Amino acid sequence: MATRWLGAPIKRNEDPRLLVGQGLFVDDVQLPGMLHAAVLRSPHAHARIRRIDVRRALEHPDVLLVLTHGDLPPSLREPLPKLIPHPDLKHHKTQYALAPDKVRHVGEPVAFVVATSRYAAEDALELIEVDYEPLPAVVDLEEAAAGRPALVHEDIGTNVAAHSVQRVGDYEAARARADLVVARRFVVDRGCASPIETRGVVAQWDPRARQLTVWDSTQAPIPIRNGLAALFGLAQKDVRVIAPDVGGGFGPKIMMFYPEEVLVPLAAMRLGRPVKWIEDRREHFVATNHERTQIHDAEIALDREGRILGVRTVFLHDAGAYIPYGLIVPIVAECTLPGPYRIPNYHAEFRAVFTNKTIVSPYRGAGRPHGVFVMERLLDLAARELGMDRAEIRRRNFIQPHEFPYDVGLIYQDNAPLVYDSGNYPAALERALEEVGYSRWPEEKARYRAQGRRVGLGFACYVEGSGIGPYEGCRVTVEPSGKVYVATGVGTQGQGHATSLAQVVAEALGVDVRDVHVVTGDTGAFGWGTGTFASRAAVVAGSAVHLAAQAVRQKALQVAASLLEASPEDLELADGRVRVRGAPSRSVSLGEVARAANPLRGVIPAEWEGPGLEATRYFAPPRGTFSHGVHAALVEVDPETATLRFLRYVVVHDCGTVLNPLILDGQIHGGVAQGIGGSFFERLVYDDSGQLLSGSFMDFHIPTAVEIPEVEVIHQETPSPLNPIGAKGAGEGGVIPVPALLAQAIEDALDDLELEILRMPLHPDALFELIQKASRRRP
Amino acid sequence: MKIEGTETLHAPRDRVWALLDDPQALASCTPGMQELRPTGPDEFEAVLSIGIAAVRGTYKGKLRITERTPPERYAVQVEGSSGAGFVRAVGVLELEDQGAQTGVRWSGEVQVGGALTLGSRMIPGIARMLAGQFFQCLDRKLQEGSA
Repeated sequence: MATRWLGAPIKRNEDPRLLVGQGLFVDDVQLPGMLHAAVLRSPHAHARIRRIDVRRALEHPDVLLVLTHGDLPPSLREPLPKLIPHPDLKHHKTQYALAPDKVRHVGEPVAFVVATSRYAAEDALELIEVDYEPLPAVVDLEEAAAGRPALVHEDIGTNVAAHSVQRVGDYEAARARADLVVARRFVVDRGCASPIETRGVVAQWDPRARQLTVWDSTQAPIPIRNGLAALFGLAQKDVRVIAPDVGGGFGPKIMMFYPEEVLVPLAAMRLGRPVKWIEDRREHFVATNHERTQIHDAEIALDREGRILGVRTVFLHDAGAYIPYGLIVPIVAECTLPGPYRIPNYHAEFRAVFTNKTIVSPYRGAGRPHGVFVMERLLDLAARELGMDRAEIRRRNFIQPHEFPYDVGLIYQDNAPLVYDSGNYPAALERALEEVGYSRWPEEKARYRAQGRRVGLGFACYVEGSGIGPYEGCRVTVEPSGKVYVATGVGTQGQGHATSLAQVVAEALGVDVRDVHVVTGDTGAFGWGTGTFASRAAVVAGSAVHLAAQAVRQKALQVAASLLEASPEDLELADGRVRVRGAPSRSVSLGEVARAANPLRGVIPAEWEGPGLEATRYFAPPRGTFSHGVHAALVEVDPETATLRFLRYVVVHDCGTVLNPLILDGQIHGGVAQGIGGSFFERLVYDDSGQLLSGSFMDFHIPTAVEIPEVEVIHQETPSPLNPIGAKGAGEGGVIPVPALLAQAIEDALDDLELEILRMPLHPDALFELIQKASRRRP
Repeated sequence: MKIEGTETLHAPRDRVWALLDDPQALASCTPGMQELRPTGPDEFEAVLSIGIAAVRGTYKGKLRITERTPPERYAVQVEGSSGAGFVRAVGVLELEDQGAQTGVRWSGEVQVGGALTLGSRMIPGIARMLAGQFFQCLDRKLQEGSA
């Protein structure tokens, strides 16, 4: 019996290398003669640039190049490319490589210095004199939407970049016949991903080969290559972009382009020497994209049995100073909101609004936590008003297992209809409730209360859109050594692609997973693809890997059949060999087959379709696939200090076929940690003049192992019918329901205070105020 | 952010005013002031070296006296910047005649940007400390003058 690789909890192929410090991150790239760059950034949120004087910086003996907007070639003086257009996005304003005449957020690049060391480059920044005329800063989202106190982009006459409406059925009519309508305002504040590795770029120009090589901590090396080729007038084949090991991506590393991604290559080409720029943490807080601020005015209409008749949300989305990434985050928010529930009438409407703050683009969850927070809160509030059990109201509204494919009636972020492919929502909730002891909870809670402890039980349900197109590809090659080499375009930022994708290949070819070597994120190895985002690598690239591996398998059987003088149907692949079934002594190694497939002389049959044990295949899903899950937790609240302690944290998760449960657990653990951080500890606070006040780890508190509970993960598997391996995305499920769960758990723990938690993230100080206010209300 | 405070100087108001009206006396009592150069009527260029939280920097800036009502009220506007960011502030000083001594009520509105924002929560405390040093120095000068 052949070893099963797919679905096995094997340890990660990449870890031995990473654990002994043999990773190759961008900052590990050291090249002879390499120069170092630093960026002069705007200290103002909104200001006109009257004059920039770089003379003294140029006089610095260690400085080789100083660039301001006027020094750029024409293609880089224009706003950088519009990434994802949308018909509702009327004003698709994108960022500049260097600010021309106006800065629109703190941290926007104004000048770029290259010197023999980073130390000298930083010194030279201080020698540049910029004369700014400060303008009123657009900070408050509602004020911004009304065009006050200024316009971020004067030429468009508004701060509203887009106004978009999606409707299912007739919400107004549903509201008119409802027994209960619950309406609230929900606010989700800014946050950011904080990967351990900040951004970095190294570029090298070979003037003889006319080849540009760029190491970039990007999640999308192939689009970066294509964009650089276009901006610099080079052939795509002459630009190689390598996203080597990347120390965490989470979304923000997929912007195209960050200014440094064009400035570093430009400097390397101008100077004929390699140039390195590594973002420091202080830069990262203002220069790498943020996420999250949305204000939802939402309501739900129900009948008296708790059946949802309709939901409406009208919300504002803070885009920041530019909107290169288009409307992805607000679209994902409105499309995630319906979740696992049947909502016959739905009205979703948003305005994406420019403010003088760092650009917003997707960060793990990417609008999903917002949607789930609004929906789950509405259900909690409705259950309270109806005097109904909070699990029961959900049971009454779940889409049932026999209703798939289920058309939600919206258009998703991939411009395809939002159709859930498969799932079992009631089963996930029941399992989570059972695991966390929901049926015994009233007695448990009373027992805690008798000990003077405030413990709450919270749970939240979600559906996670993932695995969207357009496509990914893969090449699988068996070399004469018997080792298998796999190349795909999706980069890895710690997700374990070198293992999970290797498992797909090992399963198809019957080889040891350690003999499968996966190269990702190097355009020199594989040049077609879009990137790692939207929890799509395992689904889309994984399927391409599967198709390529299956093609190699067929070829191996064909070639081996002639070597073994047997029929391909009588052969099997196992332990790195092709064997005649039932006659294991008649076998050849896969390496021998590879050699035979590439003869030096003779003829290769037409049906081999070329030499070698190699195949390239692409996978283009018709639309996204939808994972789902339920998180449930017991949370103890200390009402004196307003701090939290998790006593249990259970995740029931269904992402279709599990490729590697160990890696999947890791994804979920990390996601829950980021979800807890973003719900209770981290917050980006701006003052009225658009200055970021919490721009360091002294004030932006990332949770540590002390704050993060042990996470118990239960996998359920409802395979996706949309791809050959049945996989669904798993990258974001850990984060998505955390704010909703936390709010419900805290309200439950302090139920005598009748709190309503409508804003996230919640902090100890904010929770303290809520508790104080509620206590005053109820003497 | 707004900051304010009160002090008592041990000299009659006319003498306090005369001292405040002397740029060199002001410069010598301002903590970290390295240079104060007149560039026009009631306008100066200043170089100030100062540490705010973890951020130490040398600030080049302009100081302008925007209001002068002898001997009771005095308003200044300050703008400075360095590699660590910028500071913009307006300050008002009011002198109250208390016979042999003078009550000082001061208030300021400070805005900072750049790396300085990392320490912005400490600015009120630092400003009070610096103001304390400034007025102690003035008081010393006043008492030396009368001795």
